Amino acid sequence: MPLTIGKIANLAQVSADTLRYYERERLIAPAAKSAGGYRLYERDALRRIRFIKQAQQCGFTLTEIRALLALRGNGAACCRDIRRVALEKKLQLEAKIKAMKVMSKALTHLINECSADGRPLDDCPILASLERANGLKRTGR
Amino acid sequence: MRIELFYIPGSQKCANARGGLRAAAEEVNPGVIWRELDALDEIDYAVEIGVTTLPAIAIDREVAFSSLPTPRQLREALRRRATGTG
Repeated sequence: MPLTIGKIANLAQVSADTLRYYERERLIAPAAKSAGGYRLYERDALRRIRFIKQAQQCGFTLTEIRALLALRGNGAACCRDIRRVALEKKLQLEAKIKAMKVMSKALTHLINECSADGRPLDDCPILASLERANGLKRTGR
Repeated sequence: MRIELFYIPGSQKCANARGGLRAAAEEVNPGVIWRELDALDEIDYAVEIGVTTLPAIAIDREVAFSSLPTPRQLREALRRRATGTG
């Protein structure tokens, strides 16, 4: 029995807006529309929505998920192809983590420079340091 | 000079290409250090030098190819590096 958008959204624990967004992003499509124009989904759409959610939690963008779904539906593809995509995603995530650790370290340094007293903003070492960094960037161009 | 090929474990495409690429590298630079690294085992190192797609080739810890080059492309890149034009 076909499911309405509200029902399938409820089962998948997403909002109806999310499903409409997925549809605009060409990730899912209703199997049919009712006489009244309501979207109707087959039960296997639930599996697809859960797949999308899970992939998002693993850091995949919607564009990447679309490619993954295409790969999943490609009879010539194999497990190894999916593994390559997952491995590349892991590399990208690790690179982001590394970059964020550098940012966090820079913030630690700035925080340690500030004695957190009642000095006016003109004497704030964090603001001064950020302004110095901007100045360096400008002269570096 | 050190060349590192980050490969995807189990990839037949990588396995097929390795021999030809290594031969090309040794032809241009007989003393080259050639390493083949399983990207999963060496993920920290891969991230450290900026590998984000696979397979990839790094020359002296710098990503030179983010997909498999042909032996000819690798030879040209190595020659450019040797003459300082790349």
